Amino acid sequence: MWLPFLGLLLGLALGLLTDIHIPAVYENYLSIAVLAALDTLFGGIRANLQQVYDDKVFLSGFFFNIALAAGLAFLGVHLGVDLYLAAIFAFGVRLFQNIAVIRRILITKWEERHIKKDENAV
Amino acid sequence: MDKKVITRITVVSFIVGVMIAVQYNTVQMPTTRDTRDIWEIRQELSEEKKRHSELLSEIATLSSVVEEYENNDTESQAQILKDTVEELKQRAGLSSITGPGVVLNIVPAAELLEMGFQIEPISPNLLIRLVNEIYRYNGHFIEIDGQRLVHTSAIRDINGKTTVNGVPIDSTNIDIYIITENFEKAEKLYSYLFASAFRDDFYLDNLSLVINEAQPSITVSAYDGNLSNTYLVENDKGE
Repeated sequence: MWLPFLGLLLGLALGLLTDIHIPAVYENYLSIAVLAALDTLFGGIRANLQQVYDDKVFLSGFFFNIALAAGLAFLGVHLGVDLYLAAIFAFGVRLFQNIAVIRRILITKWEERHIKKDENAV
Repeated sequence: MDKKVITRITVVSFIVGVMIAVQYNTVQMPTTRDTRDIWEIRQELSEEKKRHSELLSEIATLSSVVEEYENNDTESQAQILKDTVEELKQRAGLSSITGPGVVLNIVPAAELLEMGFQIEPISPNLLIRLVNEIYRYNGHFIEIDGQRLVHTSAIRDINGKTTVNGVPIDSTNIDIYIITENFEKAEKLYSYLFASAFRDDFYLDNLSLVINEAQPSITVSAYDGNLSNTYLVENDKGE
């Protein structure tokens, strides 16, 4: 259960210690890609909790969403329209929804466990 | 949870972590890079050194004044106080001052006058530029057409006339007196002004800037207006 969290910490440590920089021009793309990746991650966790997790959907979604978001931002820069805002909006809304669903599922599970405990006690 | 699923999520969260860290690094990186080479840095260092020595000499002067205060009896202390006040008045422009310096004349360009060109009075912008150049080359005290420049002096256009300290100046023949720290600096100022390119700007306005050689002694008159003081308050006397 704690393995994903450990992976995140490991990634953060590795990124900070290696001191990698990307050119400031590509900063926008990376920030959107981070958002897309977070969205997919929480989507995957939610799907897993709802028992609808699919390997192909998860991995293809991860890479496809990142590529799509960066591509949209790229197109926006060249057309003079702030299309990256669309990506930020879409991913932001989905992120909140996914986290809300995860929270509800966890609360329901916790309550069920409590009820079971009470029944056992009686 | 399925073991495979956890591995997948772990890998993805690892990638997310790396991305966030890289983004953080990039945002934290200073945007302006230091691109000076060693000579530019040396030059800046020499300027700072100059400032340092200026400050040191100022400290030496002030501490000698302090020493005089401490060593002398009451009467001569009053004298020192008077001297200090006099010196400060001089620096603020409230008393006339004599010293080495340079005299400039702004006159209509003679050959253009003969051709029948209309001579316009000197514009405030040109005069301000001249004053800035003078201050840049260590001119200390400046008088323009009888008007002493102090820290509140304004050179501006009032109803089409160029004014200094609110007083309109002569449009055709303006004398500018500049006092410098010593004769050597006056000579330097003369050379700087003589070699500078902005004399051509005067010619564009049909004027010509005459720069006279440095003189060992010229006099700059006192500022005759009132200096209002907004922030300092006089202390109760005799206490």
